[in-house]
Amino acid sequence: MKHDFTELKLDRVTRRFAGAHGHAFAALNDLTLTIKRGEFICLLGPSGCGKSTALNCIAGLLPLSGGSIWLDEMRIDTLPPERRGFGMVFQNYALFPHMSVARNVGFGLRMRGVAAAEVAPRVARALKLVQLVGQEHKLPGQLSGGQQQRVAIARAIVIEPPLILMDEPLSNLDAKLRLETRSEIRRIHRELGRSTVYVTHDQDEALSLADRIVVMKDGVVQQIATPQEVYAQPANLHVARFMGYRNVLQLPVEREQDGRVMLGGGDIHLTGVRKQPLDGSHACVAIRPEEIVVGDGPNGVNTIVGRVDNVEYCGRDSLLDLVTTSGTTLHVRAGGHVAMGDYLRVHVPVERALVYPSEAAVS
Amino acid sequence: MSATASLSRAPFDRALLLVVPAAAFMLLLFVYPFLYGLGLSFEPKEGGALGNYKHFFTTDNLWPTIWTTLRLALPATLINVGLALPIAYKMRVKTRYQRWVTTILVVPITLGTVLIAQGALTYFGPRGWLSQTLQLFHIYDGPIRLTHNYWGVLISLVISGFPFAFLLILSYITGIDPVLARAAATLGADRAAQFRHIYLPLLAPGLAMCFCLAFVQAFSVFPSAVLLGSPAGPTRVISIAAYEAAFEQYDYSLASAIAMIMGFVQLVIVAAVLSMRNLFYRGPVVGGKG
Repeated sequence: MKHDFTELKLDRVTRRFAGAHGHAFAALNDLTLTIKRGEFICLLGPSGCGKSTALNCIAGLLPLSGGSIWLDEMRIDTLPPERRGFGMVFQNYALFPHMSVARNVGFGLRMRGVAAAEVAPRVARALKLVQLVGQEHKLPGQLSGGQQQRVAIARAIVIEPPLILMDEPLSNLDAKLRLETRSEIRRIHRELGRSTVYVTHDQDEALSLADRIVVMKDGVVQQIATPQEVYAQPANLHVARFMGYRNVLQLPVEREQDGRVMLGGGDIHLTGVRKQPLDGSHACVAIRPEEIVVGDGPNGVNTIVGRVDNVEYCGRDSLLDLVTTSGTTLHVRAGGHVAMGDYLRVHVPVERALVYPSEAAVS
Repeated sequence: MSATASLSRAPFDRALLLVVPAAAFMLLLFVYPFLYGLGLSFEPKEGGALGNYKHFFTTDNLWPTIWTTLRLALPATLINVGLALPIAYKMRVKTRYQRWVTTILVVPITLGTVLIAQGALTYFGPRGWLSQTLQLFHIYDGPIRLTHNYWGVLISLVISGFPFAFLLILSYITGIDPVLARAAATLGADRAAQFRHIYLPLLAPGLAMCFCLAFVQAFSVFPSAVLLGSPAGPTRVISIAAYEAAFEQYDYSLASAIAMIMGFVQLVIVAAVLSMRNLFYRGPVVGGKG
């Protein structure tokens, strides 16, 4: 067991399961990723995308069907979990119900044969880090969900693992607690500087926590990039949809020039930025509701007129459904007072209309 | 009227009436016969109220039956629980063979004690298959006496008691969230340590319960002690003494006293085991929100 490393390398990690009719299907397909020391990586995707499978493969809880995992020069995918020494935080906490908080946290140290005199101060330090001082002698069943999750985090970090694995640790907490614990996880990561792999289906969590995000779908990596890049420049239409590009319009391609694409059909004419090579006569434009601006574009470019069909009041602004005369619906975020039935002129900046090959052509 | 006031004078919950049949059943078929027997045991044919008990503890073919029965029931229970634990632990994960192994292990529960005794006589007897096989291959040429003695009864108690202990422990083990063992593994616990630190402490209360039930079952051994043992000698268990008093000497009063003593011994052992159970954690066996 190493306490530190420079690089953790996943090389074409694949995991197949037996499917319904005896066919093997790949829950995880050729995941290649290099995690640097101290990095916070989020595996992001909808349920069933293979993100938890990837985490369990790294932890050693699932054997690989193909590929290898390297901790610097040491191959670790053949080691059982107890010899990898990674700390793991489980979705349902997995605290030992018969042990006190202190004994739960100290478990990993005792298993490592750390002297009893050293266990107590290290447990105390870990509990202080997760702000649970004074709860040492309680059983997990006597704690709230948020406290239990913090015990689970303390239990994983007290062994000073080279890598911390977190499997949707916040999904069982209520909205307020989720935000608090999220900041907590960020703070602990900053203080300890331990490499972390964090699995989530929540894009906000991934954006706020990660140094790099791995977006996955059907066991295949879609994009590996910084939060800023994944947010602003999704690699494909799937990532775009997942990152909140709610408007996806399929339109005929009119012209392509210098990475700009002009598309048009009916009452909608748009110019956007090409993100992937196009094939076929049609393409998809992906636009975020909050990047649509009320008013005409410069020289009338990318201006769309529509009637307000639905208003969801959100406090700071409202989420509108705008229906054009040809019947296309556009989701728009807009401030100020807007009433149902109003006609609204909006535009989208050219560089914020992202053009991808249409879905039929992709699949 | 405030809500608390109306709550404190809640109307009679008619759902409670559903308890009546079960309560009546218990009263008629258990509590009444028990109290009747208890009363009867204090009305001996001769001597004072405690005459039967004095008789039991001063007669040489009566009081040693407690020891004889314990000598059979305790080892049989320990063997059953001790064997069932590792096998059930192995069977906790679903495999291709799990269903078959479980079925085979549980089959004896469907046989009555008399059938088991009959089978054991032909299998373990001096001219039985076991004996013949061992002698055929010259593994053991001496006489094999596994019936009509202590061993015959012990074997029969293991055969009839094991499936029961196995099923009980299996249900306890599968109730333990396997994620706990995986969490322990990521914290450095190998398989042995996972069993020792996670499964065993969480199973302890269930094991105690299983021990009690298996023990009570074994302690009241009767048919196999007669059919497979030597009911006049080393396997003269306490239930045989009670049977003789009731149906050979027609002394129901003495028989009741023996039954009371039998119940008391069981109660002492069960109370001792269950009080040890209190030393262990007895809450739900999952690791957090499910």
